[in-house]
Amino acid sequence: MEKKKPIINYKECMACGICVQACPFSCIDFVKINVNKDKKAYPELINNGRCTGCGICSKECPVEAIELR
Amino acid sequence: MKGYIGKILIVDLTTGIFEEQKVEDEVYENLLSGVGLGAYTLYKNIPKGADPLGPDNMLGFVSGLLTGTGSVMTGRWMVVCKSPLTGGWGDSNCGGTFSPAIKQCGYDGIFFKGISVFPVYLYVDNRGAELRDASYLWGKDAVETEDILEKENWNNKKPAIAVIGTSSEKKSLISGICNDRGRIAARSGVGAVMGSKRLKAVVLAGSKPIKCHDPKTVKKYSKEFSKKIKKTNMPQIMTGRMLPLMGKALTIPKNIIPIDGIVSASMMKKWGTGFGNTMGMYNGDDPIKNWAGSVVDYDKSYYNNVNPDKVLKREYKKYHCYSCVIGCGGVCDIKGIGNGEFTHTHKPEYETVNAFGALLMNKDLESIFYINELLNRAGMDSISAGNTIAYAIECYENGLITKDDTDGLELTWGNAEAIVELVKRMIARQGFGDVLADGVKVAVKKIGEETSKYAMHAGGQEPGMHDPRMDPALGVHYSADPTPGRHTVGAFGYYNYMHLWTKVSWVPKLKLSTPKKVEFEASDRNGIITMANSCIKQILDGSGGCLFAMISGVHNWKIFEWLNAATGWDKTPDEYMIIGKRMQTLRQMFNIREGINPIDFKIKDRIAGRPPLKEGPLKGKTLPIEGMIQKHWEHFGWNPETGVPTEETIEELGLDELLNN
Ligand code: SF4
Ligand code: SF4
Ligand code: SF4
Repeated sequence: MEKKKPIINYKECMACGICVQACPFSCIDFVKINVNKDKKAYPELINNGRCTGCGICSKECPVEAIELR
Repeated sequence: MKGYIGKILIVDLTTGIFEEQKVEDEVYENLLSGVGLGAYTLYKNIPKGADPLGPDNMLGFVSGLLTGTGSVMTGRWMVVCKSPLTGGWGDSNCGGTFSPAIKQCGYDGIFFKGISVFPVYLYVDNRGAELRDASYLWGKDAVETEDILEKENWNNKKPAIAVIGTSSEKKSLISGICNDRGRIAARSGVGAVMGSKRLKAVVLAGSKPIKCHDPKTVKKYSKEFSKKIKKTNMPQIMTGRMLPLMGKALTIPKNIIPIDGIVSASMMKKWGTGFGNTMGMYNGDDPIKNWAGSVVDYDKSYYNNVNPDKVLKREYKKYHCYSCVIGCGGVCDIKGIGNGEFTHTHKPEYETVNAFGALLMNKDLESIFYINELLNRAGMDSISAGNTIAYAIECYENGLITKDDTDGLELTWGNAEAIVELVKRMIARQGFGDVLADGVKVAVKKIGEETSKYAMHAGGQEPGMHDPRMDPALGVHYSADPTPGRHTVGAFGYYNYMHLWTKVSWVPKLKLSTPKKVEFEASDRNGIITMANSCIKQILDGSGGCLFAMISGVHNWKIFEWLNAATGWDKTPDEYMIIGKRMQTLRQMFNIREGINPIDFKIKDRIAGRPPLKEGPLKGKTLPIEGMIQKHWEHFGWNPETGVPTEETIEELGLDELLNN
């Protein structure tokens, strides 16, 4: 079975960084700047190879903006 | 499953011995985590009369109880120690990602005692902790050091790093501890303590989960709050040019207008703290010309160059502390400023812009960007440095010092070039810079008592950039807090925004019919309000909450509800306020034990409006500071004349028992 990957919904995401800090392998970082035209840096999966699909990021997100697909 | 970990790490830098200590639930239930846990640990472990820069002082890095539980805007961490600046209790608050990192290493706090023979840094990950040689980093600035340590220690997880810059290595009493390349725990002289221990950095790379009693309920409130923040925006047409008008408008009504604090979020989202840089000129919040001037002096011809819109022009992305849904910070492009030494800097905060702008009559914004980065790298407190330079300029302008004293610098108001040069010399402790490098109180000792009238401080701590003649509660908190000179403790303005009365039974509700002038009275009403401000601030510092979330209102940002859900406790807001009172009383007890006379922390007369200003929005304003302090202490159950917590209060709060266990 293929590993699931975190997909971030930028309509909901607050750019709070909880997922960035929670990932045990630092696979997510603030690399998407200004997706909502607000100068905010939004998180994105930067290291596909290291992501284990563990779902911690999704579980920790306070606004349920991360889905594992 | 309680939100807190229940463990601390104590590192003896003299012997290299590590000790993991379990902390009883009782401590958290009485004092929360964060500053409460810190005060408990330090009160028990620092011997009376310890030299703040000696081996007996302890330096603690503590996380907040709510950090990492799923609550939002609760990612601040605190440094605690005995302060070399005031000689009493010291703490300082900072953002970034360091707070969750402490807990992810399996601790609520990491404490240091002793002094290392050579420079070291502490490294902690899931497997444990070790001290490593940091000789190769000594002499490097905070940003360089963080870059190097991050590269060297990024294995599985990107580490969070707290580090000192060069001014802390040189034990400047106005230096702090930095993280995230430009956030700084700047107050109380905490950087000097870290420097005195030869501890260059703390590198945290743990990834242990942070547990929470009822994550579902915690998240429910996080979602509600996030939605509100998302919806709260400044209308497009609202530009920085309107801020002075808003400031003016605020001075018109004669009565207090209750405001829902959530509106502050829209300003924070747009400008960050900087919106105050022009608004505050007109409502009197911004100190100008070393607290003796007004917008009549620092007029349009000045602030046309130094204003929040101009600052935003250089901002290319926003910056958030961990778990923040507002994001008041920013990162700015500064290529081409100051010989092009630096490419970017954290957006200068309101405090820095005012301390190096209006306070010094400086209209050169580029110099402020440059100084901001110099100070962030050196780890020097911009509030203290600005106040100290303002003092030096006033001494120079009045002939109390001359070019002979300043090593040739022409220290006139607004001479940006001289100000930049002086900052560099303060950081390097070179010549006249060395005279100023420990803040105004030490500078007066070196230059002469006759200059004391120009030295603005409270108990050695230079005050934040908010004027008590506009908001007298600030004067009380500057003067009567165990950590004096702090603008972050409380104000009548914050009280208005916070809506504490929606949760706490005994605090007065603001009414539209209340005339503003009641704020200038030494009354019980005001004593209760300032006391409540201090209590809620302690709860905040025990939880890791951000002040800017707090002032959005406890009816919006549900700190009491989060605390119960995260811990599984069932406490009422009134009970939490008692915890706040206990934390504050413990910090005051620390000061009393160290021989501090609390009344010595009273803010300088000029700042209390003696004599009152002759023009500007604060014209004629004086506050009855002594009486207001007395009312504040009285409502804490401390001796109103002396500020010493009474035995009955200590017993009632159970502190005698707790500290003797
Ligand atoms: S699924 Fe796990 S490994 Fe992948 S990004 Fe999320 S937390 Fe990291
Ligand atoms: S935790 Fe959720 S809201 Fe926060 S940055 Fe990650 S995806 Fe966005
Ligand atoms: S509002 Fe500003 S200071 Fe507070 S947590 Fe957010 S980014 Fe940090």
